[in-house]
Amino acid sequence: MSIRVNPMFIDDLVRYGAEDVQLCYQCGDCSTVCPHADEVYKFPRKSMRLLQMGLEQKLETTLEPWLCYYCGQCSEQCPREADPGETMMSLRRWLISRYDFTGIARQFFRSRTTEIIAILITAVLTGTFLLIYGFSGGNINVYDGEGAFLPSPFIHKFDLSVGAILVVFLVINAIRMWYLVMIKGTPFDVPWWIYIKQFYQLPWHFFTQKRYAECEKKREHAVYMPWIIHLGLMLGYVTMLILVMVYIEQLQAGPEIRWQVHIFGYLATIGLSIGTIYFIRSRFKKHYIQYKKSHGTDWVFVVLLFIIVVTGIAQHIFHRTGLPEMANTTYVVHLMSVVPWLLRMPFSKWAHLIYRPLAMYFAAIRRDALVRQFSIINSNPLVVK
Amino acid sequence: MRTGVFFCQTDDSRNLNIDAIAKYSANLPEVETVQILRLKPLPDLRFLSDQITKYSLGRIVIAGDIPGYYKPVFTRAMAMTGGNTDEIRLASFQEYGAKGENAMDRAKAIVACAAMGVPFPLAAVPGGNPVNHATLIIGGGIAGIQSALEIANAGKQVFLVEQTGTIGGHMAMFDKTFPTLDCAACILTPKMVSVGQHEMIRLLTRSKVVAVSGKPGSYRVKIRQSARFVDVKSCVACNQCSEVCPVKVKSEFDAGISLRKAIYIPFPQAVPNAYLVDEKSCTFILSEGKKCGVCVKKCPKECINLNETDHILDIEVGNIILATGYEFLDVSKIEQYGYGVFPNVLTSIEFERLTNASGTTGGRIVTKTKRFNKKTEKDEWIFSPEGVPPRSVALIHCVGSRNKKFNPYCSRVCCMYSLKFAHLIKEKVPNVNVYEFYIDMRAFGKGYEEFAERIKQEGTFIIRGHSASVEMNNDQMVVKGEDIFNDKLVEFQVDMVVLAVGLIPTPGTEELSRMLGIQRDSDGWFSELDYNGSPTDTDKGGIYVAGMCQAPKDIPDTVAQASAVAAGVLGSLTSGKGVGHMSSLTLSEIEAKAKTIHSI
Amino acid sequence: MCGTNIAKIVDVEAVAKFVSDLPNVVLAKTYKYMCSNPGQEMITQDIKENKLNRVVVAACSPNMHERTFRNALRSAGLNQYLFEMANIREQCSWVHTDPGEATEKAKTLVYAAICRVELHEELESMSVDMCPNVLIIGGGIAGMTAALEIADAGNNVYLVEKNNHLGGNLARIDLTAPYLYSARDLLTEKITRTSNNKKIHLYLQSKVTEVTGFIGNFKATINSLNGTSSDKSKSINVEIGNVVVCTGYKEFDASRIVHYGYGKLPNVITSFELEKMIRTGRIETKEGKIPKYVAIIHCVGSRSQEFHTYCSRVCCMTALKYAHEIKSANPESYISDIYIDMHAFGKGHEDFYRRSSEAKTLFLMYEKGDRPVIHKAAPKDDCEMLIEVNEKLSGEVIEIPADLVILMVGMEAREDSREVARIVNISQDKEGWFIESHPKLEPVATTTDGIFIAGTCVAPKDIPDTVAQARAAAARILARIAKEKIEVDALYSEVNENLCSGCRLCNTLCPYSAIEFLEDKKVSHIISALCKGCGVCVASCPSTAIKGRHFTDQQVLAQIDGLFGVI
Repeated sequence: MSIRVNPMFIDDLVRYGAEDVQLCYQCGDCSTVCPHADEVYKFPRKSMRLLQMGLEQKLETTLEPWLCYYCGQCSEQCPREADPGETMMSLRRWLISRYDFTGIARQFFRSRTTEIIAILITAVLTGTFLLIYGFSGGNINVYDGEGAFLPSPFIHKFDLSVGAILVVFLVINAIRMWYLVMIKGTPFDVPWWIYIKQFYQLPWHFFTQKRYAECEKKREHAVYMPWIIHLGLMLGYVTMLILVMVYIEQLQAGPEIRWQVHIFGYLATIGLSIGTIYFIRSRFKKHYIQYKKSHGTDWVFVVLLFIIVVTGIAQHIFHRTGLPEMANTTYVVHLMSVVPWLLRMPFSKWAHLIYRPLAMYFAAIRRDALVRQFSIINSNPLVVK
Repeated sequence: MRTGVFFCQTDDSRNLNIDAIAKYSANLPEVETVQILRLKPLPDLRFLSDQITKYSLGRIVIAGDIPGYYKPVFTRAMAMTGGNTDEIRLASFQEYGAKGENAMDRAKAIVACAAMGVPFPLAAVPGGNPVNHATLIIGGGIAGIQSALEIANAGKQVFLVEQTGTIGGHMAMFDKTFPTLDCAACILTPKMVSVGQHEMIRLLTRSKVVAVSGKPGSYRVKIRQSARFVDVKSCVACNQCSEVCPVKVKSEFDAGISLRKAIYIPFPQAVPNAYLVDEKSCTFILSEGKKCGVCVKKCPKECINLNETDHILDIEVGNIILATGYEFLDVSKIEQYGYGVFPNVLTSIEFERLTNASGTTGGRIVTKTKRFNKKTEKDEWIFSPEGVPPRSVALIHCVGSRNKKFNPYCSRVCCMYSLKFAHLIKEKVPNVNVYEFYIDMRAFGKGYEEFAERIKQEGTFIIRGHSASVEMNNDQMVVKGEDIFNDKLVEFQVDMVVLAVGLIPTPGTEELSRMLGIQRDSDGWFSELDYNGSPTDTDKGGIYVAGMCQAPKDIPDTVAQASAVAAGVLGSLTSGKGVGHMSSLTLSEIEAKAKTIHSI
Repeated sequence: MCGTNIAKIVDVEAVAKFVSDLPNVVLAKTYKYMCSNPGQEMITQDIKENKLNRVVVAACSPNMHERTFRNALRSAGLNQYLFEMANIREQCSWVHTDPGEATEKAKTLVYAAICRVELHEELESMSVDMCPNVLIIGGGIAGMTAALEIADAGNNVYLVEKNNHLGGNLARIDLTAPYLYSARDLLTEKITRTSNNKKIHLYLQSKVTEVTGFIGNFKATINSLNGTSSDKSKSINVEIGNVVVCTGYKEFDASRIVHYGYGKLPNVITSFELEKMIRTGRIETKEGKIPKYVAIIHCVGSRSQEFHTYCSRVCCMTALKYAHEIKSANPESYISDIYIDMHAFGKGHEDFYRRSSEAKTLFLMYEKGDRPVIHKAAPKDDCEMLIEVNEKLSGEVIEIPADLVILMVGMEAREDSREVARIVNISQDKEGWFIESHPKLEPVATTTDGIFIAGTCVAPKDIPDTVAQARAAAARILARIAKEKIEVDALYSEVNENLCSGCRLCNTLCPYSAIEFLEDKKVSHIISALCKGCGVCVASCPSTAIKGRHFTDQQVLAQIDGLFGVI
């Protein structure tokens, strides 16, 4: 059965950042140098080809974009400077908007303004809500304990409810991803036990991101640097998430420092701040090829994160140094940026926190199932990689 | 006719002042409107048709670097308004070379001609001046040889200047030539001999043009002829000097895969058939006469004089032909192929010499063998006739060609010679695997497609996909690539890799272009006067380009061009007047001419 | 003895000794470098002093130095053909290792040469006048270029064009690839110059019906409707020295490929039809709609087993040109370019290819031998046709939407090329293209002296290459004209008319068709100017009536006898 090519598709993808994909003349250099491409998952060339031809129904079921960590070697290699790395990035953005059932992601990616407006609105709403709540019950000069402006138990509930919304979105999108990839995109049957067998992939990749590390092999500059920092950022983020979702009371009680919880807080903060600064810096300096082009959403992401980190640190210090008023204000600001940030997650690049490990998991499953189908190493003279 | 001039200038590399040209063109006869268009996005159809109706234009002139890109939309606009679509004229700055010293005047002239509906070449006809009957040809490759013979056979004097010790150029180094597979030497050497023996050809080897002055029709050329240290007339190439010479260096003719002495003859069929001394390696010369000098004693004809000095010739010529040919890109710049790191990664020309019957292995295709060098006390890899033939060979196309980082252009011959290599390997080495990595198989010439088919039949693995890396896994070379047609990532263990290296202009090109005032294109090749109309002329009168130095091309096309330039030369000689400089035509001259033609 | 080259294996003194004792041998000398100037002077001296009338030099290969020694003879006032060379280097010292045997062989070789040279005759190479007029068949860009080159040098040119206008196929083209220069300006210039040139005699609506004679002295008959109001043609006879054939090409007939539905589907058009549309500024479907999807199919009739195996060389760039032109005229339309290999080999080509990628042309690759199939789309589709093809780079079988399909028809030899070939007596390859005398070093000459070919009648070619070839042909002719006379080598065959039985066997065999049949005498006659002395006729003649000068049976047999030492 033949599929219809869609010459118009490329116009759409340009919005996601795939500007040069049409330059590719399919020499295959990129796939050759890619440290992750293998006999089952061949990219970036193949993915670029599908994109050029606008074969959406094929693209939306592919895992390849998730297997790419954008080390940029393909883009350095490309004889026509078609920038395969950026193309894979744009494909990830496109896939996120595909998995997202609300269609919000699509809007965000296609126009930066919509995104910023949305963020501002959420921020303002959160702000007003908190202030109203605060002034209704509490006193701006009290930070915690009796008559606190924003008492921890309330914030805890507040956090949890935001988290709940977040989870709902993510779970639904994850299920959509599973459907597209494993049902629509996998033409052969996948026995249930492979799901069990490969399940370890999920936490393993979530916490180690070892594939990102593999990107760094045979590179002369900054060995493993991006990987470590990225890992630090991610772990810091997760720790923080757990802290605010579960241990918020202990976290906020003060002014004296409770090391058993705060130590985690500090570590996480270090991870986050270093990461944020590093990535902002790279996006400015553009010295690695993967930071040459920055999509609007990338900026929003790092900037917002930066604000959160700063305000977070600030309110912590103010609180401990006995400036409750300042602490409360910064706290409000902090939350004003945290909430939109969290809510934005499923519709933004940050969603790869979930999608990547899932992709690894699915990829492994598919591979097993495929091997089960037929042995890929065949008898012709070509030695398979 | 009511004319509208629209400027669609894209790149400002020519540093033309468009506004000035626009002002100028406003005063041209019958010009109603002059507009400078913004080109992103493309000129809007509606807007154009409005302009046409507004000024009721009968003729439109599109001026710009390559205005052709915008012609169709203008044509459509013209059609919409029911105008005559044939009256859309292009004023292309690139086509007629508005570049260099008098770019502005040229640009204006181009616009003027277009506005009057006169083809530029018709109006821009440089006057002739009396022509000297001698011709200078720079470069003794097949192109130079061909033109030299064409002209000399008409009984006209030719000076053939060649930088190296012999004529023949790259073609003499080749083994077979595609697609007919006849041996290059067999078809070239007779021509070389007749150049050597021709009474109308003065052959100047080891010579360089150092200065050119004068006007079209009579150029004064200063040529520096480096000392050969051997008397060409009396040397009989008996090889005795070479036998005694103690110095060994890499042979240029063998592309460095074999050694030659300091006193040597490039190859047995060299013309002139005489030895020469390489002053850069000769002990006697380097030590200013203190050491060595055995060859002088040995020579039975006493024709070696190691104290010979360079000398300068001044000649008068009417026409000059540039046939300076090409060089190979330095592959070591492209790290991933490991050229210079892995011994058995060869460039195409090295392989050409290896497989050549007159080569160091006598035409046997073998891998390099390790040998201990006593002098340097290092192991070194050399080709020896005892070497073991490769079990598998990878041929990689487009190395440095079609690549924005190196040569953006296609080198035109690599596909075919790589196929030829595949054939030679299959022919000479029993049950060998040959893998050919290509992007587009450019088999365009007469009999090329058939040749490509034949190679496929011979069982070469022709892989659509470019290999980006050659690696060494425990003493086994591995070539990685993507086999796109079979949708596989492939990895072949090979004993030899031949890189189809891209071609670049010879180092001297730049200097020559400055000396003669010839323009060069963005890739560094000499630019012709008019891409279609006169592919072998330049905008300097009586100076022609032939062969590779104008752009990469294969032997038939080179020969055709080489003969073509002879037509220009002979034409000017028989008609007695050499063509003047196109570049020195003034604006007013061209205008006037255009007006007269226009009025007819 | 060529330095050590010969002497190191062959005992030359012994050879000399042996030779000098032979009958008729006046003297036998050895010299270290016979080919060098002193060596030659020595020969001249000896000839003068000893009144020698035959000379044998035992040295290297004749194609190296025969010329040299012949000159030596000439300068001694001896006919240069009274000379024979025994090759004791390539044929002896270089290929043998055992000195004894080598020396013996050398002796035999020299002896054979001596036997042969005794029978040599004095031959005079004759020379014929070169008529400066030139006939050019075909008034396309090639024809006009050649004509102008030759006429500008002050020679008469008869330019014969069979249509009623000059320009050929180029006249049907608007812009040229890859720089999108105006083809019309190019032509206007050439045509104006051609028609204004006094030296060019233009014959439109004319045909060359006969060419007789040989190089330098051809007679041609032109059948012309030129100027004549009625259709009764008048025939003109012209005398010419050389002929250039530039009859060009014709495009492949797309309707021969059934599955493209050309002629059935209204919006499947050929490249030349699109060219018309572009000129008139209306790139539209038959229904007058602006096509949303345009598909360009490459290699129509080219690079295929059943039609033409060769590549037509220009279509790829032309296709890219169309992509640009259509995009420029209708920026809203999407272009898919369906190709096999992108032949972007010339100057500026690759850059042009890149530009068309930048212009978002969708390039789709199909395999050689595969065939895209065009069929009507269903009403629900937003396009008129669907092209089904197996896309090689993605490995998918795809359908490409199209409202307008452009077939890049290849070039093929004109149907009348066979006739032309017959008239000017040149040969064609299996595809009908004219054959050059050497594919590399003689791309414009033919096996018939004085007949040249240029442009797309030789093989598909783009404009610059065509122009270059046309000029190359002109150069050859100008060189010949400049010499006024043309030397004909003395080595040709002669028919002994008394012996000739008139069987005409040789007439058909001669590869240079140098043999004509004299009806009146009923004997064959060899036109010495055309004869190359290959000897085919000599061997074939049943009544041994033909003699190859300088290669007579006696001479050759004597040499062979000599080799076997028969004295």
